[in-house]
Amino acid sequence: MSFGLEAVGLVRSFGGLRAVDGVSFQLEPGELLTVFGPNGAGKTTLLRMLGGVMRPDSGQVRVAGALADVASRDWRHRVGIVSHQSLLYGQLTTTENLQFYGRLFGLTDLKIRIPERLESMGLSDRARTPVRELSRGLKQRVALARALLHDPEVVLLDEPYTGLDPHASAVLREQLSSLKDGRRTVVLVTHNLKQGLELADRVAIQVQGRFSSVTDAASLDLAGLEVLYHDAVENPA
Amino acid sequence: MRAYVALVWTIARKDLLLEFRTYERLTAMGAFVVLIGVLFNFSIDTAVVQPQAIAAALIWMTIIFGGMLGMGRTFSLEEQDGALTGILQSPLPLDALYLGKVLANFVLMSVMVVLVFIVFLAFFKLRFSGSVVTLVGVLAFGVLGFVALTTFFSAMATRSSMGESLLPVLVFPLLVPVLRFGATATDRLFAGRPVAEVSGDLRMLAAFAIIFTVACAWLFRFVIEE
Repeated sequence: MSFGLEAVGLVRSFGGLRAVDGVSFQLEPGELLTVFGPNGAGKTTLLRMLGGVMRPDSGQVRVAGALADVASRDWRHRVGIVSHQSLLYGQLTTTENLQFYGRLFGLTDLKIRIPERLESMGLSDRARTPVRELSRGLKQRVALARALLHDPEVVLLDEPYTGLDPHASAVLREQLSSLKDGRRTVVLVTHNLKQGLELADRVAIQVQGRFSSVTDAASLDLAGLEVLYHDAVENPA
Repeated sequence: MRAYVALVWTIARKDLLLEFRTYERLTAMGAFVVLIGVLFNFSIDTAVVQPQAIAAALIWMTIIFGGMLGMGRTFSLEEQDGALTGILQSPLPLDALYLGKVLANFVLMSVMVVLVFIVFLAFFKLRFSGSVVTLVGVLAFGVLGFVALTTFFSAMATRSSMGESLLPVLVFPLLVPVLRFGATATDRLFAGRPVAEVSGDLRMLAAFAIIFTVACAWLFRFVIEE
């Protein structure tokens, strides 16, 4: 049986610093892994390698059993990525941004797909608004619509709550929870223990490039996670 | 093949759309061209030097320096809100990204070249008696060679901590053939010499443009991948 997403011994260094140091995990289709960690732990680097944006020095990523090689472009339609940056063009409208990315993914039914996606995100009335005029919360919803436009099996979320007010966070959380449809494999990177734990099936804590622990989220409450987190950060393996 | 061309056009179309919404690069290049025309107009003593005799060199130097202002910002469009990450994560072949950027830059440079000729013809009252079609060929291949190199090295400069200031250092030495063959051919065409006298220069410009476009498209992934 193939895993939804599999990382095997991922390593990436910058100069003498090992940003990601031998990270391995396997996620079943439908599972959501939340990765916590302090600043500089290598979480974003890990996510960029999982998304094929950055080449690992060693190790492999497999998506639905297939090797996700950086040099190959074929497997990329299976993955969607949301970052703390919107990955959008401010001068283009919401629809133009989605059209642009839709064409890069070879989608041919954009006239149907884009309005549907905008409606599901509550963005129908912003279809013709330039992205630079949107609030941070709305921009992040467009970013999510962009990442999901090609209906990926694997979704990678890098600090999606950054800069959002409590209301916008709650709206985004609702939309992220809809990703848990039993089909998509999701990796969420965040500093926020509460938000990360709410959605997680499994929880990993990354410190100094390594996963210090991978735990079933069902066995943890927030207080337990806080203890685990602080212990991992203060006493790295 | 058709799908590949569509992807190249998707990149070029997006770049042109962004430019024609902001006019950021065209404004910088256009202002430079007009100012250079004014400065040359004041600095050349037409009693001693005939502008017609040095027009080709001035035109090509203006094209190269003015073009550098716009081409240096080719990848800054992608850096503003991390859009390059979205492109790199997509299935878009990286050579198609490069060729799309080259196509958009070629269009912007063509607009600038038209302006250069308007300014120089207006300020220096130049006479042109050669083959217009051949001149267009010389300019098209010269500009394509220039754009092929500056687009490639702009990606490299974006990845460098030195940023845009690195671009001229990397590009100028490699642009010598464009300047040499472009200025010579333009000079002869301004002087009304027969097309046969510039065909060698034109072939060299074409070879330069094609070789550098193909080579840079192939090498592009090595400079853009992280």
